[in-house]
Amino acid sequence: MKIALLGNPGVGKSLIFNQLTGLGVEVNRYPGSSVELECGNVCYKQEKTEIVDLPGIYSLDGNSEEETLVRTFLTSGGADVIVAVLDATKLERNLYLFVQAAEFSPKMIAVVNMIDAAERQGMHIDAESLSSHIGVPVILAAASEGRNIDRILPVALGQATPAKVHVPYDHHIEAALKSLEKTIGTPMHTNLLALQGTGDDTVLLDAAGAIAQEIGMRHRMSVGQIIATNRHNFAREITASVVKRTAQKKPYDLDSLLTRSFPGIPILCTILFLLLLSVFMIGSWMEEIIVTVFTTSVIAPFLALGLPPLWNQIGFSVLIALQAGLGIAFPFIFTFYIGLSLLEDTGYMTRAAFLSDRAMHRIGLHGEAIIPMVIGFGCTVPAIMSLRLLKTRREQTIAAILVTMIPCSARTVVIAGIVAAFVGIFWAFSIYLIIFILLILTAVVLSRITPGEQFGMIVEMSTLRRPQARLVLAKSWLRIKEFLFIAMPVLIVTSILLGLFQFFGLTELFEQLVAPVTVTLLGLPGYASTALLFGVFRKELAFETLAVLAGTANLGMVMTSVQLYTFAIVSVLFVPCVSTIAVLYRQLGARIAIITSLYTVFLGLIIGAIINILMK
Amino acid sequence: MQPSLREDYLEAVQLFSNKNARFPLTEELAAALSKPVPAVRSDIEKLVSGGDVIIVAEGSITLTAQGKQTGTCVMKKHETLQCFLSEILGMDSHRASDEACTLEHTVSDETIDRLGKLIGTHEHHRHQEKGKHRTPAGERACKGETDEYCESPGISDFSEGDEVVIQCIHGRACAQRLLDLGLVPGEHATIKRKLSNGALVVQVKGCDVAVSPEIASAIGVERLP
Ligand SMILES: Nc1nc2c(ncn2[C@@H]2O[C@H](COP(=O)(O)OP(=O)(O)OP(=O)(O)O)[C@@H](O)[C@H]2O)c(=O)[nH]1
Ligand SMILES: [Mg+2]
Repeated sequence: MKIALLGNPGVGKSLIFNQLTGLGVEVNRYPGSSVELECGNVCYKQEKTEIVDLPGIYSLDGNSEEETLVRTFLTSGGADVIVAVLDATKLERNLYLFVQAAEFSPKMIAVVNMIDAAERQGMHIDAESLSSHIGVPVILAAASEGRNIDRILPVALGQATPAKVHVPYDHHIEAALKSLEKTIGTPMHTNLLALQGTGDDTVLLDAAGAIAQEIGMRHRMSVGQIIATNRHNFAREITASVVKRTAQKKPYDLDSLLTRSFPGIPILCTILFLLLLSVFMIGSWMEEIIVTVFTTSVIAPFLALGLPPLWNQIGFSVLIALQAGLGIAFPFIFTFYIGLSLLEDTGYMTRAAFLSDRAMHRIGLHGEAIIPMVIGFGCTVPAIMSLRLLKTRREQTIAAILVTMIPCSARTVVIAGIVAAFVGIFWAFSIYLIIFILLILTAVVLSRITPGEQFGMIVEMSTLRRPQARLVLAKSWLRIKEFLFIAMPVLIVTSILLGLFQFFGLTELFEQLVAPVTVTLLGLPGYASTALLFGVFRKELAFETLAVLAGTANLGMVMTSVQLYTFAIVSVLFVPCVSTIAVLYRQLGARIAIITSLYTVFLGLIIGAIINILMK
Repeated sequence: MQPSLREDYLEAVQLFSNKNARFPLTEELAAALSKPVPAVRSDIEKLVSGGDVIIVAEGSITLTAQGKQTGTCVMKKHETLQCFLSEILGMDSHRASDEACTLEHTVSDETIDRLGKLIGTHEHHRHQEKGKHRTPAGERACKGETDEYCESPGISDFSEGDEVVIQCIHGRACAQRLLDLGLVPGEHATIKRKLSNGALVVQVKGCDVAVSPEIASAIGVERLP
């Protein structure tokens, strides 16, 4: 048996999925957080049942990636049973998707989730009446409390039936559907899509297009609008008869602060600044502890073993990699993810998007682009993956280049470990300032030269909610696991490579080769070039390698402040790490990956050279 | 050659071959279209150079794969359209559709009028198909394709706190998402927030929807009476 969870974004599908399967899937508070199909297996009454978490969508008619994915899933009979998850507080809007899904006539049940929130708002939903209206079993549930989640599987496996809804379409639409069925012989849901210009049968599309134009002329309204209106009205009638409201004292509306320019924008800036500052502070403090403990309790004993030189080198490299990995993952990235998850779970991200819409328009993007940018302060890889929030190629290209320039946690480690530690905390902030200015300049230029049209933002505001510590921690943990999974292997392999390079004396060769750039142009010691090179694998390696090659952790003794500052800024700007390049390539193609890499190399070298010349 | 003319020819050839199980000679085609033979002959030459038909040895006009595709499309389109018209004219659905589908050119005045309009709009249709595989909705910007019927002012002309009734959505691209979120004609909406740049939070069906200024101006509304 295969069961799929279908519903609007943010109705709790992923949370239900996690509770049914016990697996970890990201639970997010901005639309479209799950884009791929997540599958998990459970055993129920000795029968294996596969559960699929579909991406959240508002409609089955559109052409977005997620909508197409879910539509294909439905038409190809991807699941035996569809569990439609509805948000009790937005029942009317959620039923709109339900009636569309019902037209594909799969076996269904309905789970009305967030019933706790609905009760708090004084809404009472009559499950039996709803069930008789839509013709499938209805379960009232609250996933965040685990209420009634255990009833989902038995009902889905035992009582699911095709829904009995028939939207009373405008009689012209009905006539069109009948004609298409007669002359072309296609089923109703295909015809409805074809009338709106979606499908791949050219004969059908042509015929439907002709009728659609005809209807459009008679109604002075496009067919899409008529169909949507009919469905919404149908959903409204059902809702009106199943939801009873008792008057409730309106709670204080926080949005009167959060979404106004004042004090909304200052609040937004403060929140983002505090997020970065706490990652910076907590991160460097925790990192020091981890590094010290690791050095005294693991590395020192290992070196004392006195293994043969080659093995000693390899073992040492692995340990250094582990140390670097742990030293960044937990202090910096985990702290960041907790902050990010808090922002997401409260529903603040969509407010941030609304407020930043104006600034983002200046650089050819729109409000939603703030989300990848904020994620980028943690790790560039998930930030680039979240770029699909943006709909056009132009927006994705601009945002991708900007996101790769944003100092991720690994680069924070470099700034904190080198500049804040040996040059001064204000110099460290000046690096952020320089990057910020470069970001804006780049953005302005990009928005002028990138081809394509600008597209505005349409985003549903998530409901403001108090985040739950358990869910925030669970989500952060899931993300950090993913990070370790991607980062650790790269870190260990590159560290071993570096160790071997050094062991066989290859690093000197490389250093001599690029000496004109590092020594003459940037005024750095020769070994810095190797450190920069390894920074390409993972940014924090630039710092770790520098310490190893310099032969001391106290970098202030071997390099001048200007050298340290230059090194930090070059390695921060210079080429995104390999994982970033890989994900850029996967999401946006080779051209963008190459352009981004080359651009950042030039930027790094030029800014480094300028600083070297100015400050020497 | 006019696209509509080309389609008429291809449709006629297709119809003929459906009826007679063979392709027509130039004279037969001219008779079917009630046009003079020389005109048809010169048009056929254009179709040949366009790769829609080939003339085989005995002089019969044979559709190529491309020509057949277009011919079938046009035939089906007309057939369906007539079916549809008879549906809404309220005839007995079975017989009406059978008749309407077979009696290609002998239908009521209204239908011919409609068909005329349809052929007049072929140009437009072709255009859409050139860009082929219809650009996904998101790729098109909001401006451009406006809904010429709707004259209501954009919601961006109203101010915070105003209650309005949605009349129409201009532009097809952003229309889909807005419609899905419940911003459909006839729906009541409240402007919950308006920033100085014109970005809005609109409350509709109990949900808050945030839109950029250019999208706001595409939502045609009237003040709630
Ligand atoms: N109060 C309350 N909150 C809930 C309930 N179920 C889920 N949530 C919260 O709703 C938010 C969204 O949940 P998700 O599981 O990510 O929603 P989703 O449907 O997977 O969303 P997409 O992946 O974006 O489509 C999370 O912050 C959950 O904690 C519930 O029953 N009651
Ligand atoms: Mg999800």
